[in-house]
Amino acid sequence: MKFTWKIGGEAGFGILTSGVVFSKIANRNGYFTFDYIEYPSLIRGGHNALEVVASEEEVRALQKDIDFLVCLNQDTFKFHQHRLTPKSYVLYDSDEFTIQETNFIKIAIPFKKILSDLKGQLVMKNTIAIGASLSILGSDLIQLNKIIEEQFARKGQEVIDFNKKFAQLGFDYVKQNYTQHITSYLSPRKSDQKVVMTGNDAFALASVISDCRVYSAYPMTPSSTVLTTLAAWQKTTGMVVRHAEDEISVINTALGASFAGVRAAVGTSGGGFALMVESVSLAGIAEIPIVIFLSQRAGPATGMPTWTEQGDILFAVHAGHGEFPKMVFAPGDIEEMLELTAKAFNIAEIYQTPVIILSDMFLSESHKSVSQDFINKLAKNYKVDNGKVFKPNGLGSLQERYLRYKLTEDGISPRLIPGAKGHFYQANSYEHVEDGHTTEDAQARKQQVEKRNKKWDTYLSRDFEAPKTFGDLDSAEIVFVSWGSTKGPVLEAQKLLKQDGIATALIHFTHVYPMKTEDILPLFKDNKRYVLVENNSHSQFGKLLRMETGIDIKEKLLKYDGRPFWPEEIVNFINSTK
Amino acid sequence: MSTIQDFSGYTPTWCPGCGDWAIGAGIKNAFVQLGFDPSSLMVVFGIGCSGNMNDFLNAYAIHALHGRGLPNAIGAKIANHSMPVVAIVGDGDCYGEGGNHLIHACRGNHEITVIVHDNGVYGLTTGQVAPTAQKGFKSKSTPAGIIEIPVNPLTLTLSQGATFVAQSFAGEMKQVVEMIKLGMQHKGFSLVNILQPCVTFNKINTYQYYLKHIYKLGSEYQKDNLQLALQKAIEMSDEKFPLGVLYQVQRPTFTDQLPQLSQSPLVRQPRFTEIETLLGDFV
Repeated sequence: MKFTWKIGGEAGFGILTSGVVFSKIANRNGYFTFDYIEYPSLIRGGHNALEVVASEEEVRALQKDIDFLVCLNQDTFKFHQHRLTPKSYVLYDSDEFTIQETNFIKIAIPFKKILSDLKGQLVMKNTIAIGASLSILGSDLIQLNKIIEEQFARKGQEVIDFNKKFAQLGFDYVKQNYTQHITSYLSPRKSDQKVVMTGNDAFALASVISDCRVYSAYPMTPSSTVLTTLAAWQKTTGMVVRHAEDEISVINTALGASFAGVRAAVGTSGGGFALMVESVSLAGIAEIPIVIFLSQRAGPATGMPTWTEQGDILFAVHAGHGEFPKMVFAPGDIEEMLELTAKAFNIAEIYQTPVIILSDMFLSESHKSVSQDFINKLAKNYKVDNGKVFKPNGLGSLQERYLRYKLTEDGISPRLIPGAKGHFYQANSYEHVEDGHTTEDAQARKQQVEKRNKKWDTYLSRDFEAPKTFGDLDSAEIVFVSWGSTKGPVLEAQKLLKQDGIATALIHFTHVYPMKTEDILPLFKDNKRYVLVENNSHSQFGKLLRMETGIDIKEKLLKYDGRPFWPEEIVNFINSTK
Repeated sequence: MSTIQDFSGYTPTWCPGCGDWAIGAGIKNAFVQLGFDPSSLMVVFGIGCSGNMNDFLNAYAIHALHGRGLPNAIGAKIANHSMPVVAIVGDGDCYGEGGNHLIHACRGNHEITVIVHDNGVYGLTTGQVAPTAQKGFKSKSTPAGIIEIPVNPLTLTLSQGATFVAQSFAGEMKQVVEMIKLGMQHKGFSLVNILQPCVTFNKINTYQYYLKHIYKLGSEYQKDNLQLALQKAIEMSDEKFPLGVLYQVQRPTFTDQLPQLSQSPLVRQPRFTEIETLLGDFV
């Protein structure tokens, strides 16, 4: 049984935290979840909401109908009323506002009265609401109480007990007054151990798994929680996190660290990345490894900071003046974020070039259930691959000359970490000869350009991965083509379409740049209905695909209102444009 | 023991008579006298005539982007704080394009030595004004004379928390060597601003001009007095250029304050593998 639970209220009162607590309880109770937050670019005032889709099976996207709407204020009801059905439950406080409509199930709970009777703080309203929600969903309070204990462990038993009281009162009120409405949506069941994490969490965790030792950033929504998470972990992991003065300093700090021999990464959104771009080009010519986490939001300029868009893929692909190889990966979900981030650190070091991980607000800030076993295996099996490394024989530069930019078959020159006795070299932003010295010689220039370009050929033959297909390509009448975070909504839409008897497949790209044409062409050989699904208005990936492979997809479903796709929207598009 | 020869790369391409010759020689001399060899330090070069020293000086080096050398140097220091890190930059590079980085390098007391070639012009792009040019200076980009007053690198860095601020003059080779040595021996951020003529594009601030306007801080000068240092530094606007260490105090460096670096440099630490300890946040 899949359902959506949504909580909303005024910004600044812990709504989002409470939503995540709900996701964690659902997972601890044995369910899979996917959640999505809505918040304005404000700290106080405005409307905050978080919705959680939970099910016994893996969930990858939102769904249009809200089954349980928890209204901590009247706005929540007003803003989300249109998504209610006759089977929906609305939890609210009838002392605070009245609801005239009767075409859904109303559960009135005296949040305000409970709060004032016990002299609780305003945020504890959330605790009452979660207690009441768990009651109506057929759960117990065991996990919520555990979370309260964990959360307030340092504040002592009194605070813990005080908070638990609010949960209990919300829970009991429903039990006593709405017994006939109690469901079993969240009754505890057995399942594998799961964790709940966002795309940003996954990038942060995978960077630690990948032995990244310097992370530098300037806060920018929706990438900021990577910075704060890694900063909080520093004591444990030993990573150095630098919040620098601007994004130009951010990337150059990371490049300096990478030059000196540690793995380094930066994180930002479109505007910050724009400032970094000159230095992406530096990484290209000086051949310094770096991983760039680029979490897209609705642009241009300041745009809509807290909303989602896939509007920067062509920018990322073309970022940097001049010609140099770079790789761009676009994970479609949390698991792919973990895997591709870990891969990105190896690729950056093997090919000594920038690697960009493209995320967006939808992927960066939505929590999804991930099997703990999956993470443990990834961490255990991960091998740090330093690529080609120069090992000095100890005789020094007179006997054994080190050539930083040595011409090689695969375009990769062995690296040497500064400090090795008897040697030295420069990482040069100017064009250079093999030993790193500056040159304007035509022949040397040509050789170095070709050397750098060869790294792309090597990458395409060794490390490129063709897009994954979901569903049976041969029997499908409709083939979706997408990249990055649209994966989840399309997969959910495919399930819905299958119920309607429509066979579909999805070709989903993660290794978005560069592309290996001969691996991709066969996927598009049939005369089928191909539909491009992108969260932008220029069909940027469609253009990129055409540029790289010549494939031109005519039919497009584009969304650019700052919101992610609803699976239902994709279904409607198919049904209405047959 | 290393020699000047060990540090010498290509033959410099600077104009005959350029102050860069003296600064270049001064840097090499300072390195030798401090007992370094080209494998033992990291140098970041900016872009400009000064940055062109990248090909003339042997070391583990980055020839950075214009203005961005300081964050490169900061990153390199964080990764391996056991190696000295020097940034060799120009006035346009460090006080113009990269001015923001300078402010924050001072605040953080990042342990890097920043050697600035200050000649008031952009030599490499054929003589436009630099941020340190005196008001009214006529150049190709300011044919009617520059409207802005000059940046004062000394008051700027002093007020932003630099723990070592020195000034030198390319015509005083011995003093150049001395200032660079003191700067590199300083535990913390150090600025060595080196006044120098550009014989090709700056007909105002010549050797003769500087010889008239410089003066050396005496042995009685108290270099741990910020008020005094600022007072001396402000006199730059009256074309009185103090030479010597204007200011030096001790404050913990950026890397000294990172507990994760207390045992060994980041680059030599074992890999962290206890991933499961981080998963608690997500359950």
